[in-house]
Amino acid sequence: MRIPELKRQYIWGIVLIVYLTAVLVPIGAPFPMSDITVEIYNVIGSLKPGQIVVVGGAWDFAFDLESSAAMIPALRQLADRHARIVFAPFAVESVQYQKYVMQASGIAEEQGGTYKYGVDWVQFGYIPGLPAAMVGFLNDVHSAVPADVYGTPDDKIPLMNDFHSWKDIALWICPHWSFDVVVRYATAEHGIPAIYFAQAAAYSGYSPFMMAYPDKVWMTNGFLGGAQYEQLMNTTGLGHAAINAYYILSAVLVVIVILGNVDMISKREKKEEKK
Amino acid sequence: MKMSSTITYVRNYLARFLLIVGLLAALASWYFVSPQVDAVANTMNLWNMNIYNFTLFVGLITIVIRYSDGIRKRVKNWPYMAYGLVLIVGWIIMGEYLGLYSDFYQSAYLSTKITLHIAILGQLVFFLVSASYRVVRIRTLRTAVFGLSMMAMVVLNAPWLLGVFPAADKISYWLLNNPSMAGGRALLLTGGIGGVILGIRLLLGLERGALKSTER
Repeated sequence: MRIPELKRQYIWGIVLIVYLTAVLVPIGAPFPMSDITVEIYNVIGSLKPGQIVVVGGAWDFAFDLESSAAMIPALRQLADRHARIVFAPFAVESVQYQKYVMQASGIAEEQGGTYKYGVDWVQFGYIPGLPAAMVGFLNDVHSAVPADVYGTPDDKIPLMNDFHSWKDIALWICPHWSFDVVVRYATAEHGIPAIYFAQAAAYSGYSPFMMAYPDKVWMTNGFLGGAQYEQLMNTTGLGHAAINAYYILSAVLVVIVILGNVDMISKREKKEEKK
Repeated sequence: MKMSSTITYVRNYLARFLLIVGLLAALASWYFVSPQVDAVANTMNLWNMNIYNFTLFVGLITIVIRYSDGIRKRVKNWPYMAYGLVLIVGWIIMGEYLGLYSDFYQSAYLSTKITLHIAILGQLVFFLVSASYRVVRIRTLRTAVFGLSMMAMVVLNAPWLLGVFPAADKISYWLLNNPSMAGGRALLLTGGIGGVILGIRLLLGLERGALKSTER
């Protein structure tokens, strides 16, 4: 039996339909909870009021958007714990990304929340020179970054009076691609616990860090991890939206690959019949 | 044009001197607990950050020179170069005037660069599915290993499978931690050894091409 070959336009059409279905008719795809995501939730939940958490790392906003699915609810959890947050961007676009997640979380006073700038949270400007910048930042924050994103000197910012070096950091959260640098310098060298809201593609490369530093390094996995974190925080957002599409698309991909192989076999049989 | 002997001298020895001081400072601060050594290492780090910052300007200046030249000579696609230049200048003025953290700058950045970048990444899914149909075909043992590995990662991360078979999560974790990581580590180790050898060659002035630090 000859199976008609699927033109690429048809396949693109199928993918588009999947996307549109997920957007227009959210199916509320079920997904399992991960033990590691729960562990992350508990680590953040165990922070004491006033402890300093650095949210930092480097690279492109578009890639890091996947991390925001978990980062946004995690910021709300940090606010619930009254932890103090320092945003440290080690790439040009990371400033814009960190502003985006902070605004989306709604915890800042400007967005109707309770977090006061300078007291409860601080945003630095771009810190150039990864990984040397990371080393400098951990050793002496005030020398490496003398002012915040507005140009206000560190000594005029109340939060910065309590933040001088790695010794003051209770937890590092990385919603950016550069988690290897965080693990190498913050965790391996100074023992700072680190959480990575990983992009699915990065998760596959970086997940062995959890094996190398058990009870110090934790990672969620892509949008699925984001959806899990949203569920733990009793909210829905980007993670749930993406998982609806991924739920259908991952099944479609399997069917497409099977069809590709059936097509190959049917063509082979046809050739043999001709012979 | 032949380089003056003074510049050659500086290039020969100052570059190597800076490399040696920088490397030794970093290594010493790693192996010794000493406030003095840490201070030197920190200062070298700050220099590094400043130089890194300077590279942003190098990129900017290079683009401006190349585009200006292209526009003047009316090379192919010069209108795009003109558009690029206008955009660069406009963006810099906007950033300087309004501030990188202003809401207007944020909206402008999200509405243009970020949206387009995310759109490009989103399009990859269409090509990935289409390519899977054509490429993931099991013809030989090698293509079978490739195809099954790819499908394993897709299926083991799929929520519909994790729901009925939670152990899938552990299987994918094992695959990543063992067969996948073994290959990845081999590549990293090879790169690390290569980096050490490259450093030694640089210091000895044996490196040629863009990385050469001597005139020999």
